[in-house]
Amino acid sequence: MANRIEERLQQVKERGDKAFITYMTAGLPDMQGCADLVKALDEAQIDVVELGIPFSDPVADGPVIQAASYKSIRQGTNLRKVFDMVADIRADGCQVPLVFMMYFNTITYYGVEAFVDRCVEVGVDGLIIPDLPYEEQKQLQDVLDRKADAPILIQLVTPVSGERIPMLLEKARGFVYCVSSMGVTGQAADFHRNVLDYLEQVKSVSKIPVMMGFGIRTAKDVLPMKHTIDGCIVGSHFINLMEENGYSTDAAKEYVRTFKAEMNA
Amino acid sequence: MSDRYYGEFGGQYVAETLMNTLAELEKAFEEAIADPKFWEEYHYYLREYVGRETPLYYAKRLSEKYGTKIYLKREDLNHTGAHKINNVIGQILLAKRMGKTKVIAETGAGQHGVATATGAALFDMECKVYMGSEDIERQHLNVMRMEMLGAKVVSVESGSNTLKDATNEAIRTWAKEAEDTFYVIGSAVGPHPYPRMVKEFQKCISVEAKKQFMEKEGRLPEVVMACVGGGSNSIGMFADFIDDKEVELIGVEAAGMGIESGKHASAMALGRPGTLHGMRSYLLQDEDGNVQLAHSISAGLDYPGVGPEHAYLRDSGRATYVSITDDEAMEALAELCKLEGIIPAIESAHALAYAFKKAQTMTMDQAIVLCLSGRGDKDVHTIESYFSGNGYLN
Repeated sequence: MANRIEERLQQVKERGDKAFITYMTAGLPDMQGCADLVKALDEAQIDVVELGIPFSDPVADGPVIQAASYKSIRQGTNLRKVFDMVADIRADGCQVPLVFMMYFNTITYYGVEAFVDRCVEVGVDGLIIPDLPYEEQKQLQDVLDRKADAPILIQLVTPVSGERIPMLLEKARGFVYCVSSMGVTGQAADFHRNVLDYLEQVKSVSKIPVMMGFGIRTAKDVLPMKHTIDGCIVGSHFINLMEENGYSTDAAKEYVRTFKAEMNA
Repeated sequence: MSDRYYGEFGGQYVAETLMNTLAELEKAFEEAIADPKFWEEYHYYLREYVGRETPLYYAKRLSEKYGTKIYLKREDLNHTGAHKINNVIGQILLAKRMGKTKVIAETGAGQHGVATATGAALFDMECKVYMGSEDIERQHLNVMRMEMLGAKVVSVESGSNTLKDATNEAIRTWAKEAEDTFYVIGSAVGPHPYPRMVKEFQKCISVEAKKQFMEKEGRLPEVVMACVGGGSNSIGMFADFIDDKEVELIGVEAAGMGIESGKHASAMALGRPGTLHGMRSYLLQDEDGNVQLAHSISAGLDYPGVGPEHAYLRDSGRATYVSITDDEAMEALAELCKLEGIIPAIESAHALAYAFKKAQTMTMDQAIVLCLSGRGDKDVHTIESYFSGNGYLN
């Protein structure tokens, strides 16, 4: 079976559109509400849903996602329950491409082999692991390579990656997660200076779609670099929006539809 | 590039944003330690400013009571009251060499924060210290000290509001500001090359102790021991003895209210390998793989992980790790006050308490060298509160 992320991003590209990804902390507002939200995003034609697996020490995340993680953990969310939720979503026929954003400790605690097997079983399409840089990926990548339909390990690139970029992208699949500013998730859109130069540099090396993330709120934020990138990712702002709207699926759908329409206008 | 791992422990589990920063740091560190001028300057400050070398004191009354020779490596006599300053001097000299103008640090009890603020004042660098809001409240004196020294203390309110969260916040800030900012890590933890760097800058403890013991006894000691939180004084105390296989190395973790109570800080006793703060090592975790809070009466041992080289020394059998409860440590503390006139830090009292147990299996011809890592001035409130039966502040 082809990977859902690769398949979807190919379709978007063929249409000449830009792709849109939202991030949501798994388990919020609760397990059922989270499943409903994923399905609603799918109905609104989201291209990929990124589900954050809450961890006690999210060093790559800013205050919004930290708070969301903490809240979700206190409600009892864990990896096992999120896997079960994904299995239910798939059983209901939802085929939206799903990426887990998580910290490496959660995987090693579950067991790397068992983790990959369960990802395949329930249908997780990609992994973003911010504390597993390229140099440490072999231990996971070797297991992923051995299994059919294993999720893709998404590569992150940052404004200071510089001469590392060709190495990071050589075997990258799915999409490149282009971190647009320094530091952690959720800072305002004060993009790193020369962000356009940087995005162009990544784009020139990348054989796969380049998605920009960190600090994006509305489609206007990405208009200046629209012709360079292949799409974008919204995380903290989407969580804020959900918190403000009581996790209303209508609000989620409205946001996705508006963003996509404006970005692809 | 030198090896990033100690066996299966260590590594660089950090965001891509920091990988070039770590590479730059490693290169600068390797160049510095190959440069005699760097060491000359480091030793100048250790001698003239910190007050080294520190004595290796033969604790006669303790030795007589417990039936073996007990030598105390007096790190408590260093400027700022503990071994922490050795490492800070090394790292800040390195920061200056790299052209950085700002330093940041994490702190739990405040000792490493005070040491970093001291070094920053000495070398004219801007300093921000990240400290959990809980710790700020219970370690008010050290907060005032840092501020007097010109540092900005940043209150961290996330997660458990303690050391591990302060460390997370320092890492986040570093990822943003690495261009002009050097992150001074206080313990033998963090991503490579930090554990190696901290060991290099704390090694002076064992180099001196070995020489001093040789002068006094003309041989090597049977046992060398130190307390272990993240593991900086212990790795410094072990460093020069690791190749002397006949010397038994013992690290003493905090058992808090008892290992079986679940309220402890013994990552080696009950932790599983995991990833935190840029390293793979033993780590206290709950049933979902989240990091568990450590507990100890001593804020300096109150850390859920341990340095990766200690994890390796344990698994390879070169060092042994044991734990001591709050009560045992406080009893040992009181004993050192009364028998030798030394008020130790509660951290160091953990090592002392185990030394008393270990001594019972030894003879008067044998010797223990113990790292008395810090003085107890900072703990006076906690000590008073403990002995007056009010429980304790931590």
